[in-house]
Amino acid sequence: MEHRLSAALALGALTLALMSSVVVAQDAQTGGTLRVLGTAEVDRFDTVPPATADTGSFFRATTRQLINFAASTDPQEQIAPQADLADSVPVPTDDGKTYTFKLRQGANWDAPGGPRQIVAADVERGFMRLCNPSIPAPAVSYFEDLIVGFADFCAGFGGVEPTVEAMKAYIEQGDVAGIETPADDTVVFHLNYAANDFIYLLTLPVTTPAPVEVLDYLPDSPDYRDNYISNGPYTIASYVPDTKVTLERNPAWQAESDPLRKAYVDTIEVIAGVQPDAAMQQLQSGDGDMLYDINVPPVTVQMLTMQGDDKISTLAEGASRMIWINTVSENNDGALRNPLVRQALNYAVNKAAVVQQLGGREFATPLNGIFPLGILGHHDFAPYPTPDDQGDPERARALLAEAGYPDGLSLKMPFRNAGNGASEAQVLQASLEEAGFKIELVPTPPSDFYPRLITNFDNALNGVWDLVPSGWSPDWPGGAARSIFQPQYTYDGTHGTFNFSDYNNEEANAIAAKALATSDLAEAALLWNQVDEIVMANPPTVPLISQTTVLYHGAGVQNFLPYAAGGNGDWTNVWLKR
Amino acid sequence: MTGEIKQRSSFELTMRRLLSDRAGLVSLSFILALIAVAIGADAIAAITGHSAVAQFHDIGLTPTGLPVPPGTDFLFGSDQLGRDVMVRLAYGARVSLSIGVVASLLAALIGVTVGLVAGYFGGWIDGVLGRLMDLVMSIPVLLCMLSLVAVFGSSLALSVTVIVFFSWTTMGRVIRGQVLSLKEREFVLASRSMGAGHLSIMVTDILPNLGAPIIIYTTMMVPTSIIFEATLSFLGLGIAPPAPSWGGMLAEAANNSIYMFAWWLVLFPGLALLLTTLSFNILGDALRDALDPSSSKHRLRKKPSKLVEAAS
Repeated sequence: MEHRLSAALALGALTLALMSSVVVAQDAQTGGTLRVLGTAEVDRFDTVPPATADTGSFFRATTRQLINFAASTDPQEQIAPQADLADSVPVPTDDGKTYTFKLRQGANWDAPGGPRQIVAADVERGFMRLCNPSIPAPAVSYFEDLIVGFADFCAGFGGVEPTVEAMKAYIEQGDVAGIETPADDTVVFHLNYAANDFIYLLTLPVTTPAPVEVLDYLPDSPDYRDNYISNGPYTIASYVPDTKVTLERNPAWQAESDPLRKAYVDTIEVIAGVQPDAAMQQLQSGDGDMLYDINVPPVTVQMLTMQGDDKISTLAEGASRMIWINTVSENNDGALRNPLVRQALNYAVNKAAVVQQLGGREFATPLNGIFPLGILGHHDFAPYPTPDDQGDPERARALLAEAGYPDGLSLKMPFRNAGNGASEAQVLQASLEEAGFKIELVPTPPSDFYPRLITNFDNALNGVWDLVPSGWSPDWPGGAARSIFQPQYTYDGTHGTFNFSDYNNEEANAIAAKALATSDLAEAALLWNQVDEIVMANPPTVPLISQTTVLYHGAGVQNFLPYAAGGNGDWTNVWLKR
Repeated sequence: MTGEIKQRSSFELTMRRLLSDRAGLVSLSFILALIAVAIGADAIAAITGHSAVAQFHDIGLTPTGLPVPPGTDFLFGSDQLGRDVMVRLAYGARVSLSIGVVASLLAALIGVTVGLVAGYFGGWIDGVLGRLMDLVMSIPVLLCMLSLVAVFGSSLALSVTVIVFFSWTTMGRVIRGQVLSLKEREFVLASRSMGAGHLSIMVTDILPNLGAPIIIYTTMMVPTSIIFEATLSFLGLGIAPPAPSWGGMLAEAANNSIYMFAWWLVLFPGLALLLTTLSFNILGDALRDALDPSSSKHRLRKKPSKLVEAAS
């Protein structure tokens, strides 16, 4: 125990100075079964359809992309793009509009006929599958206008029958003009405009190359799952729905072709149906190793901290929480369309109390804009300052009176009735009521909250809700301002799933476009700051907090390194010492 | 006074039997005390200076958001939002008692009516009503309750309706059985021969004879209703937060593993729920013994000393 502790301390100190792999090599051991505990099961095997963020850990083990992130305890290293299937991170040419990738040799598909080198055509095929008419990927919107000719390809694909044969024929005959494959080991992307986060976009699981065999199955269908073709260090050994996925080593994977994954453990079991309490107890007793979709409860974190448990760590993923304001319903004669009312809401909320609920500043910080801590574009500003972020009920009351509601307003606020949801809702309610709002809380089961209530735009139009506490995590860490701004705060005439009130601001859009195009990241940050300020001047939301994810693991797990895109420790880099 | 023979009314005899039952007496006192607490909840809030929904982020929570244990500021500790557990418990008693009593009375009303009509008329009416009772009893209660609440949204009225709907059948069956034997008795025949109508016979002749089972079963239904309400609240489908209810308080304690740290969040509401249901059950038992001495023969045989007392 003593020895292990000093080793861990040494590791922490050395990572700053040395490549972590040097330290790792000292007492790494292979073998064993990693037991990962979750409440829900791994929701997707295919990278195309939308998946929960937790699935990122699964994709890390079974898929590889051109670019990826290293698992690391160093916050800077966590979000630095590194070559994965590409043999290096390219520098764009043609004013930032052309990216040329060389593919790493020795990176193989676990194809039915034996290991087969991943080639350029597989990369293009991966993109083509994104806009299939059977089960499309919302993330395609990041690429549709960006890659030359991709929008045309997708428009054509939309008219194809959603059958295996028709889709296969369309992909085999089609071509995306902006994805060139001059040689088997070379992919060239041509962009319509420069995008300084294109490298980050290529870390998304949706950009995973696709082997030719998968065209014979509908995306993520049972057939697809039965004939899973991995290109990561692990592949699926068995799958029992709602119960367990077992991963075993992928025989086609070669360690020397993969700089980011060490693949120490032999088998990974992802077990579903475990309640948070039980999972934490199993981790503490050593029966379980890591958590899948379970958040460590704040109280447990504090109890473990008090006991001096050093297996607790945090990870900033750029997650934030906010209250969405419904500006499209006719409730209260459209009172929430009045900017003064929305500003009053921003003054009223006690953000410090929300932070306190989550265990203090170590785990959350008050947020006043749309970009949370750790995201390029975040800056400390307070358009609606309140003393110690505790809310300013008098100011809010005054604004409300100025808006013509001296007697306050009655608002409906459904909340997700799970985890911290009820506590957060009641804290918000208390501070809003102090400012003259009358808040009716509506407990909503977690299975209904996002899928049926919030993302269904009819509910907003019909005034089923006035306010909703909600959360957002960008699709990738670091330079992810686009992944926060575009899905939530832009509207092009088609209702977006996560822009709950069809918010749009042309001025902000114009500056965001500039921020995405510039190659100077410092300038990009300043432009995003401006976007943030413009949005918040007439706020569609009440930003609440930037949140860090608390990570915990069992005593048998060594070399627990956070993988930012999965929001948890990296399965492919831990080893077990029981 | 000694030696003088005093005529005792049936009520007086009942009360004497009831008061001689120590467990029943303790239960009754607890229930009365609880009613006092529920009525005086506002006074408790005023004395402590803590309302049921006021959140004390400074004195009721540590800087990192943990509740504080029982102490001088908070006699029963504070909850995860820094609210006073004692005050919430008192207001929760209002919810539990009112739901318990209102739901039981309504269920009793329906049960008695249905049982009376079914037992009295017999024949196809009995058949239809009997099958109706079977139907209601065969519905998986919790599942149905959950779906109803999920569809209509949670509210006090819906909670009561749901509880009533699922608890009248026991009463209905008991009353029907009693009526079946009562309607064959001579005084009913006498009334009928004197030309009394059905309604008159049911209300003036049969109903008064059902007093004992009605009182006993209604009392016994109160704890069941309270538990029903607590179950609904525990599952997050009872009355909406931040209004306090015992089941809701337990649910909040179970949420996020906070009970691992704050034992007082489970102990006090749990104890309140336990003692209340226990008291109503014991009181129900005591009432049965008092109202219907013949039902407690088994006990008399064990304790012959009481036989004399009961016979006197």
